Amino acid sequence: MIDQRGVRAGDEGRESTYAVKMDGITKRFPGVVANDDVDFAVERGTVHALVGENGAGKTTLMNILYGLYEPTEGTVHVDGVPREFDSPRDAMDAGIGMIHQHFMLIEPMTVAENVVLGAEPTKLFGLLTDEDAAVEVTRDLAERYGFDIDPTDRIRETSVGEQQRVEILKALYRGAETLILDEPTAVLTPQEVEGLYGMFDELLGEGKTIIFITHKLGEALRAADRISVLRDGELIATVQAGETTREELASMMVGRDVLFDVSSKAVELGDTTLAVEDLVVDDDRGIRAVDSVSFSIDDGEVFGVAGVDGNGQAELVEALTGLRSAESGAITFDGADVTDHSRRQRIADGMSYVAEDRQHRSLVMEYDLLRNGLLGCQRLPAFSNGPLVDWEATGQYVDDVLEQYDVRPPDRSALARSLSGGNQQKFVVGREFERDPSLVVAAQPTRGVDIGSIEFIHNRLLDLRAEGAAILLVSSKLEEVQRLSDRMAVMYDGRFMDVVDPDEVTEEEVGLLMAGEQPDGGAGDR
Amino acid sequence: MADQRTVRRTAGIVAGLLIALVFLLVIVPGALAIGLKLLGIIDASYARSALRLTVPIAFAGMGGIFAEKSGVINIGLEGLLIISAFSAIAVMWFIGGGGTGARMIALFGGVLASLVVTLLFAIICIEFKADQIIAGLAVWLIALGFAPFGSIVIWETVNSDSVGSFDSLAMPLLSDVPYVGDVLFTATPPVFLMLAAVPFSWYLLNRTAFGKHLQASGEDPRTLDTAGVSVRKVRYMGVLLSGLYCGIGGAGLALNAGQFAGGGETITSGRGWIGLTTYLIANYNPVGAFLASFGFAGLDALQLQIQGVPGVELSSTLIEIIPYVAVLVVLAFVGKTRMPESAGEHYESEE
Repeated sequence: MIDQRGVRAGDEGRESTYAVKMDGITKRFPGVVANDDVDFAVERGTVHALVGENGAGKTTLMNILYGLYEPTEGTVHVDGVPREFDSPRDAMDAGIGMIHQHFMLIEPMTVAENVVLGAEPTKLFGLLTDEDAAVEVTRDLAERYGFDIDPTDRIRETSVGEQQRVEILKALYRGAETLILDEPTAVLTPQEVEGLYGMFDELLGEGKTIIFITHKLGEALRAADRISVLRDGELIATVQAGETTREELASMMVGRDVLFDVSSKAVELGDTTLAVEDLVVDDDRGIRAVDSVSFSIDDGEVFGVAGVDGNGQAELVEALTGLRSAESGAITFDGADVTDHSRRQRIADGMSYVAEDRQHRSLVMEYDLLRNGLLGCQRLPAFSNGPLVDWEATGQYVDDVLEQYDVRPPDRSALARSLSGGNQQKFVVGREFERDPSLVVAAQPTRGVDIGSIEFIHNRLLDLRAEGAAILLVSSKLEEVQRLSDRMAVMYDGRFMDVVDPDEVTEEEVGLLMAGEQPDGGAGDR
Repeated sequence: MADQRTVRRTAGIVAGLLIALVFLLVIVPGALAIGLKLLGIIDASYARSALRLTVPIAFAGMGGIFAEKSGVINIGLEGLLIISAFSAIAVMWFIGGGGTGARMIALFGGVLASLVVTLLFAIICIEFKADQIIAGLAVWLIALGFAPFGSIVIWETVNSDSVGSFDSLAMPLLSDVPYVGDVLFTATPPVFLMLAAVPFSWYLLNRTAFGKHLQASGEDPRTLDTAGVSVRKVRYMGVLLSGLYCGIGGAGLALNAGQFAGGGETITSGRGWIGLTTYLIANYNPVGAFLASFGFAGLDALQLQIQGVPGVELSSTLIEIIPYVAVLVVLAFVGKTRMPESAGEHYESEE
């Protein structure tokens, strides 16, 4: 494969074998160095992965290549020619196309209209757009690269995988020779990911070059020819995918050895903190989402809930935290019946909540960290001064969280929006954990978070358990639940299929439970 | 284009208007009897007068579409109508004379005044990121104060002197077409401009690159920006188009009447607001906005003619409620009006 590509690049007889070469790129934002003297080069006709933790500067580097940012220092060469891009249009003219993590598509428009947006084919001396030509050119491109897509479909009627293909077609229509894909697999199902790798092959077959950004090492190793690692804005190394390992990449990314196995399971159970009896919860449409679930969690215990997303976990969590009312059943917390307690009362009772969707539920993106740190605590005596907020105490609390949870930048006046996903989550976890809760409800606490932060959050969760808190961990990542939990329930269709010992159970057994089947045909429903 | 959704929508709108009519029949005593009498009023002269009254509403409605599609909500339409109505009459008064040529110059003057105010509004909203609703209200309030003030300065009263109105022109050949010719093609220049603006607007929105950019700018400006099109330019164009349209609408209204009336709500008497409702009813389709405008203007004309029917007393305020009731019915029950995703939001290009 690699040989073939090398020959193809040579045949074209251009002066440079590098499709893209970035030398000494430095990018400073106010108070932050996002890229620090980065040398990055991509050989033509190869797949090059750019890996690094959230906030390592991957996307910034690629935005520079795509003309969205101007570098503070450094030069960009495309096909051996030095270039300065003032806008994406310049980059496109030079043959660079970028597919962003959040797709840039106009929902009410058709596939073809989106593909040609900004460079529409016209008729009648440029007066009118030529709709037929747009459809035609889109269809031709799709056929050439083997993409299965109907140019006349409206974007809002297409699947996420199709939308990604539209984005690629958009770049190809603009004459892209080098395609940058930002976290292309984040939104795809496993089958769609395989389809994406298939597209890579088609694109390479047409002589294109691919750069893709990821923080999933397995993907980089699977799909790329070469891998560059960024950490804290610096390029650590560029290696051949065939000559490295997951562990080596991970330690380069994080800057220390990463234990892929966090565990410590010395359990000393105390009293029952949370008891749930026959809880029934409906979802927004009034359909039963949680169907008479019962369980209890003791002090110093992690109770895990595994299962495929959408089997009632979200509603269960909302009912426990007071965001959704239960149809029937009882929730007992620290010996008191809290079934009818409001969210505010439950916070005062000592219930912390790490929400699944941090950007909508945990943070106000346009607030600074100081005010975000107060969220949920504003009525607690420790944070108030009579009817007023005690900003001094809040500030101290926030500074503590920033320091202990290694939130970067450690600046309480930074807007939540300006933090990377991993740092946002560390901040939320810190805010909720440092409140000295007796129960933590953690829903997908490490979703969309990089490896280093995942390890950190896991460790804090276990620390909190050691301090005697009860923890409900809900996650669709089976390995996470299995590794951290003392007991683990598997949820399917609103019920607990079984509560198992995570050390004893096999992955196959859990897999069957997650699919709603009892292993060995035994047990029956509980 | 006439897909199922459009058909369903149209049916819904007709139902909405019927409900509004029933609403009227219920609250006005003896309305049925009046209704029967009114049928006798509807003739060619009625249709012509309805069409003339459509001018300001339809121009405001179609203009508003361009601004809002680009992502800038322009609720100052009413203010722009007032400004251009006043300016057109003032220009007419200063140049004196009669003739269609002089009136076209006056019309142009009205458009220019509207464009200047619109440009100011656009700069405030796009460069300085002011709240569009508040800036739009300001345009209306300023116009509402300035135009009568200007009248007093020039004519010593809030109402202008009469400067004479546009004469009806007959389009050669077309005006000889039976029925239609008499109504559509024997009319004043603003009416002709309006009839031309309807298909023009539709094509501009749906069949030109600019129209696509306008739509993209209102839905997802970042996408347009990354596609290499300046969101700023597109939004300026969208807003200025609304100013151009309101300019023609307001000046046309005043020059059809031959006078500027500055008392109360002024000569426009809320037609800009009604224009705003027409494009919401029509879900941003200029053809629909025109038809809705014609419907409302028809009711308005009816109301004017009723005054002449003996034994009928109908409060004009009740008629004026109809557009708003209709828009409520449409929004609540037909419910398919979809605002552009990013309308009302500022966009800041990264660097």
